[in-house]
Amino acid sequence: MLLIGVIISIIFVIIGCVWLSVSMETLDKIAEELGVSEISIWNPPLPEYEVPGFEGNLAINIVIGILFTLFTLSVTFSVGKILKKKVDMRKVDNF
Amino acid sequence: MHIPDGFLDLKICSITYIIAIIFWFFAFKRAKETLTDKQIPLMAVLTAMFFAAQMMNYPIIGGTTAHLLGSPILAITLGPYGGLISMTIILLIQAFFFGDGGLTTLGANVLNMGIIGVFIPYLIWVAFPKNKKGILIGAFLGAFTGDVLAAISAGFELGFSTKFLYGVSISVPAMGLHHSIIGVGEGIVTSIMILILIKYRPDLLNLPKISPKWLTKFELVKEV
Repeated sequence: MLLIGVIISIIFVIIGCVWLSVSMETLDKIAEELGVSEISIWNPPLPEYEVPGFEGNLAINIVIGILFTLFTLSVTFSVGKILKKKVDMRKVDNF
Repeated sequence: MHIPDGFLDLKICSITYIIAIIFWFFAFKRAKETLTDKQIPLMAVLTAMFFAAQMMNYPIIGGTTAHLLGSPILAITLGPYGGLISMTIILLIQAFFFGDGGLTTLGANVLNMGIIGVFIPYLIWVAFPKNKKGILIGAFLGAFTGDVLAAISAGFELGFSTKFLYGVSISVPAMGLHHSIIGVGEGIVTSIMILILIKYRPDLLNLPKISPKWLTKFELVKEV
């Protein structure tokens, strides 16, 4: 299941980067029409899912997408393990 | 519908953060009580999958694009609290590393996509009979309704914000209409994924859900 899920995720990243990368959400369009602009309080290291200086580089975008998909997998796994560990510790304390 | 920093005023940001914090408290508390070894890989792989799925922007109408949320599937497989935890992880990574959604507006984005976008599909899904037809119709309707209501919630937040000049009479219909189209797509994808799970891994639909205790008696999916 894990392997199939990771493969599907990588396919999504590739499709997203190659064919479906242009993003103009409803919210963005409304904001543009109303003249509202974003006020950044934080400078993300990879704005718009691209490496600064390498904008439009498909290979790098795909690598970033895959790396962060795996990062998301690891973070969620870790969060799950930490939460589950608390369940196990409670069982030990009750004993 | 990732709302960036600067689109919502402080009052809206604060209120939505308070709501999100309350839900996070109950979600993590319930997760600590119920999370099992079997759920962790499923949670991890689905969270990663929908992080990746949100990178696919497909064109809809009026020159705009949309992406799947994934919150209905997360809700149905993990339970609403599990779905909330997954969506929070996705939204936090998107905001922090990519600027996709703001940090001051994280509360609002979690409310829309992680709470409304998760709980509504789930509540609709559990209300349907647990035969194959009921499961699929419930999944479709839940996903569609969740998407639209999440968008309408975002519309209200924007409309009530002093940053947007035209108010809810403009922002709510605009968000609701576009996301009704997205909702159809989300509904179709959610139903297809549920169909695949029924056929190949029905055990994953019957894993214990991370959800409020009062919901647990409605959750069991019988043999279909």
